[in-house]
Amino acid sequence: MLLRRSILALGRRTAVKPIVPVAPRVFTTSAARRAGEQGDPKPGEPDKKMMAFEDIRTEEDLLPPGAEPGTVPTDLDQSTGLERFEILGKMQGIDVFDMKPLDASRKGTLEDPIIVNSAGDEQFAGCTGYPVDSHVVLWLNMRRDRPVERCAECGSVYRMEYIGPPDDPHAHHGHGEEHGEEHGDGAHSYEEPKTFADFVRPEYRGTPQPHYRQS
Amino acid sequence: MTNLVRSNFQAHPFHLVSPSPWPIFTCISLLALTTSGVLTMHGFSFAQDFLYMALLLVIFTMSFWFRDVISEATYLGNHTLAVQRGINMGIALFIISEALFFLAIFWTFFHSALSPAAEMGAQWPPKGIDSVNPFELPLLNTVILLSSGFTVTYAHHSLIQGNRSGALYGIVLTVMLALIFTGLQGLEYTVSSFTLSDSTYGSCFYFGTGFHGLNYVAPYIIICLFLKTKKIYNIES
Repeated sequence: MLLRRSILALGRRTAVKPIVPVAPRVFTTSAARRAGEQGDPKPGEPDKKMMAFEDIRTEEDLLPPGAEPGTVPTDLDQSTGLERFEILGKMQGIDVFDMKPLDASRKGTLEDPIIVNSAGDEQFAGCTGYPVDSHVVLWLNMRRDRPVERCAECGSVYRMEYIGPPDDPHAHHGHGEEHGEEHGDGAHSYEEPKTFADFVRPEYRGTPQPHYRQS
Repeated sequence: MTNLVRSNFQAHPFHLVSPSPWPIFTCISLLALTTSGVLTMHGFSFAQDFLYMALLLVIFTMSFWFRDVISEATYLGNHTLAVQRGINMGIALFIISEALFFLAIFWTFFHSALSPAAEMGAQWPPKGIDSVNPFELPLLNTVILLSSGFTVTYAHHSLIQGNRSGALYGIVLTVMLALIFTGLQGLEYTVSSFTLSDSTYGSCFYFGTGFHGLNYVAPYIIICLFLKTKKIYNIES
């Protein structure tokens, strides 16, 4: 089929080839014709392959335009879903998964903790101390209802910032509500075990943090 | 992008696979293949019928599993760069294990050929073996093999450059050369005077060339699968 098509195309090309030599096209007009054929956007025009990252709302916005027939498709032409989300983010210099390590340029304190962004109700963060890698990785567990955690090895303080979707005020939150306690999603009714951050004396605590649970 | 919109999409780049029947199906069919293979090699009655059925079962489960992976990659977009890195690593490890497997095959050959044991007449090829002249059919097959390496590299680089017809011609030529190579290898098997059980020479010969042939047929099947995928895409031009 491939060979036949090529032979047909060859024949067509030969058939329509003008016998009378035409005047050679000047460079500028041929460039204009090519631009028209390819459908490339002019400067300032939006590219149909390139959806601006800010305009993405749902999965629907991550459907690809598809490649032109007869070309080799690229990832930008036909990738979908999360893969496309990542590529479109990268093209605007945005790391959509936020894969960089946490800020380790300083040691977190209770007044000025290292902020850990989290889209969920619970977040683990690995502390390696300050300077970086000065102790083995210690995993700290932060929750929405107890966002501050302090490394038992180096004393660096971390605070989880919830950046997920806002809570539905009408939704039921876990089992804690039945007992009249305040809990995040999936919370339980038993008391959380205390952590190192719970035993800091009040005089060392400085200004209390907004989500910080007073013991 | 607001955090609210960001929360519409998965927060991490990793692909947490959904429950799938294919791993256990593959296990069962591979067990059937090994068992019936052993029974066949020991001459059990009707074992060969079961061998073919098990082989079909393996091919079926592979096809279904690959179909799911292709759907996840192309339609669902689950293969982010982090996932692609893992897949690259998997292919690299597969190629390394293949290379070491062939190292073992060559090792058996050199072990037997470089200092032939007294039981074989202290000579290589062993006494009574009418060996294949390497400057006849094997030389032709070597030329075809290297040519197919050239055409597939041509297809690869055409693909990188966005030259679609070059990529397709390269692949079609490679498949044709693969078919010619496999045919000539089959011809060599039929005309050779020794069998798999004729001394270590026969064992080494059929072990090496047989697995090499298998490695040559597998990419051919994969290429056929790719062409089938292209059909699923409904790309007509």
